[in-house]
Amino acid sequence: MSTVNVPRHVLQSVIKPARYVGGEWGSVHKDLSADDQIRIRFAFCFPDTYEIGMSNLALQILYDLLNKRQDTWCERCFAPWIDMAEQMRILGLPLYSLESYTPLREFDFVGFTLQYELSYTNVLSMLDLGGIPLLSADRKSDDPLVIAGGPVTYNIEPMADFFDLVIIGEGEEVLPELLDLYDANRSLVSRNRREFLRLAARIEGVYVPAFYHVSYHPDGTVAAIRPNEPGLPARIRKRIIRDLDRVGFPLAGIVPSTEIVHDRIFLELFRGCPRGCRFCQAGMIYRPVREKSTDRLVDQALAIERATGYDELGLLSLSTSDYSELAELTDRLLCHLTPRQTSLSLPSLRLDSFSLELMEKASKTRKSGLTFAPEAGTQRLRDVINKNITEDDLLTAMRLAFLGGWKGAKLYFMLGLPTETMDDVEGIADLTRKIEALYNELPKSRRPRRLEMTVSTALFVPKPFTPFQWAAQATPQQLDERIRRLRTLLRSRSVKYQWHDTDTSRLEAILARGDRRLGPVILAAWQRGARFDAWQEHFQMRIWIEALQAAGLDPDFYTVRERSEDEIFPWSHIDIGVSQSYLLSEYRRAQLAQTTPQCRDACSFCGAESFEGGICIGR
Amino acid sequence: MAGEISVSVGKNKEAEKTTVIRMRFARSGPPVWLAHLDLMRTFERSVRRAALPIAYTRGFNPRPQLTFALPLGVGLATEDDYVDLTMLEPIDPQSAVDQLNLFLPSGLTVLTGGVVSAKDPSLMSLIQAAEYLLEGQGISAAAKRIAGLPQGQPWLVEKNQKGNMVTVDIRPLLMDMYDESLDRLFIQVKAGSKSNLRPKLFLDALVRLGGLNPLAAADTAITRTKLLIADGSGGLKSPLPRSGAFRQR
Repeated sequence: MSTVNVPRHVLQSVIKPARYVGGEWGSVHKDLSADDQIRIRFAFCFPDTYEIGMSNLALQILYDLLNKRQDTWCERCFAPWIDMAEQMRILGLPLYSLESYTPLREFDFVGFTLQYELSYTNVLSMLDLGGIPLLSADRKSDDPLVIAGGPVTYNIEPMADFFDLVIIGEGEEVLPELLDLYDANRSLVSRNRREFLRLAARIEGVYVPAFYHVSYHPDGTVAAIRPNEPGLPARIRKRIIRDLDRVGFPLAGIVPSTEIVHDRIFLELFRGCPRGCRFCQAGMIYRPVREKSTDRLVDQALAIERATGYDELGLLSLSTSDYSELAELTDRLLCHLTPRQTSLSLPSLRLDSFSLELMEKASKTRKSGLTFAPEAGTQRLRDVINKNITEDDLLTAMRLAFLGGWKGAKLYFMLGLPTETMDDVEGIADLTRKIEALYNELPKSRRPRRLEMTVSTALFVPKPFTPFQWAAQATPQQLDERIRRLRTLLRSRSVKYQWHDTDTSRLEAILARGDRRLGPVILAAWQRGARFDAWQEHFQMRIWIEALQAAGLDPDFYTVRERSEDEIFPWSHIDIGVSQSYLLSEYRRAQLAQTTPQCRDACSFCGAESFEGGICIGR
Repeated sequence: MAGEISVSVGKNKEAEKTTVIRMRFARSGPPVWLAHLDLMRTFERSVRRAALPIAYTRGFNPRPQLTFALPLGVGLATEDDYVDLTMLEPIDPQSAVDQLNLFLPSGLTVLTGGVVSAKDPSLMSLIQAAEYLLEGQGISAAAKRIAGLPQGQPWLVEKNQKGNMVTVDIRPLLMDMYDESLDRLFIQVKAGSKSNLRPKLFLDALVRLGGLNPLAAADTAITRTKLLIADGSGGLKSPLPRSGAFRQR
């Protein structure tokens, strides 16, 4: 056992040294000398900065869950920023955990939560700085088990070479079983790592990439994916928690001393989303919708608010308005929180009068901005993506907002959606103009003095496990042209236009629907200096294109190619419950601009009902 | 329900009842690396966790009413810093101190507390001087060298002032300096809103004029050991009368 001692001059010279020292309120410190009670050391790794990683609810939930075990100490580790990583390399300091300053390589488990594809190179940086061989195949008996979980692990294939095992589904459900297995087979792990992985692969929801062989057609598409070990399932099925009221939730949590991106308490209302927007991966992989009860949420909120000292509580879910007892919940929360000077933030609200009244009530202490996500500029395209918002909804909501004193709103759209034409792009500008007209028609006495609208366009990236997994991404030229068009059309004093960069979305599209042939590409890009790709100031598309070319791969194969209906996807052996046939029927309906009702209105028998949980029960 | 929500604690009527508790605190360990805003936020949340009857500022963004004596630079430890807490009701200072200590992250400790008059000028405006302990290789020798420079020769160092590099003479800001033992140097300097010498600037002078190795300067541990206010008769005193509980130097 060793500990890392970072010299003062290093911490003096890097930006935000508080990122690297730990010691926050609520961080867990355990006594290693106490009778060998702690048998499992777990490093929870987030492959981005401290401020982003500490804003992640999965980290808080799993940290709490693992540290409640007497035999386990879970510590944290984040990607050091460029300046710190450089200093550590110069001085030969290994990457260490924030609790005990233990080098990463001395842990039993090094577990990454993967939230977005553009953090992949940071995983390699962290393993490398931690002194752990990058490739699973190169790891020896005394190396940690390097594991991963989180939304992008549903298609982990591009990163398959780097992980020993991957958790498919909700970690709260799988991790305890994995740790129990590890504890019971400790000697096996050091004697025969492969044999331990064989045992682990028998746990439902555990995927060991090395145990599955992928063969390809000459055109680069997948021919077959088969287990190469006896006794393993052909498909790995995700695990979920059926009843969220019966699983632990951190009632205290770590309170960072330095400012983080989402610096507030998160109260998770439910998992899953009943809406079924066709571009949305989260809406499919987290099915079925499972709510927590209002009583439990109120109890949890009050306990967390007292224990952390935070003065802001944010409701968290994919679509707040779909919580079935939102009015009762928010009334009860406000009644407790307002006298304590704690504010409530309400993201992901639907466009209706109830939402605005709610925001009015919630903003008694602090007034927050309005954001709406119509996603597309015309009704036709909104029907294609199954986004159930009409122009009337938006105009009615904006009218109420102006009367309520809001100066405007931020509107989110996507460019490059399947079937999009320039008419749809111009529809975004039309909508914005109608909002401006609406404002101008209101009497001066009843509207705010200035109009401030923001229009923001992200670029559509087709994701696995969505109805659009077959779709082509628009070409960079098409996307640039559409952005240019909007820049011209949205020139107005009262409208601010923000857009995303095409290269970043292109790389995201390559990695999101990528296969195992991208493993060497990611490694090569990292070796050529790719770091923090999600950060505009560090992202260099040139490196990636070179790495792809060196591997003989064509970016267009992954991005602008529409898949045939019978193509075997690189992620075909992962079973999220939602069936391929449902996704395909949704893709076909999209082409016809036909909408599908949301879960609460009519069950579409997507396959998630097979989990027998949440709102699927009783249908 | 809406009626209940809009009810706020009748602050106006209670304004005259507020009590200001001054606390002396120390920091060491990980919190040393917090910036001043981080430290303020950490105290605010700790006060809320401790459920002390703290008053809030008015306006859109109400915050617990805490006032710090003098911002502490990133990387500096302290044994003698001060924060004033405005309480909505009278509270025994010692029990407030004990309660807050239960909820501060490790490395932050409140040492003592006392009631001060709410009518006193702000804590920050009272600060006149500070004492720092500098511990690092070669500090004593470098200090000896600059002390030996001819009287009247300015100690010029470069300082970043709102984005511009300016040259300042720090010699008039140093009030006293002595070695406690080898490479444990105490300096007493002017501090506060009128004139203030940051210890890192003093280390720059040791590098520039005293031949201190820049790396040794960057590795030097700095501890604020005293904050001082005017005693009303030309001398200096502590912002809180010292109690026996705290180590005296």
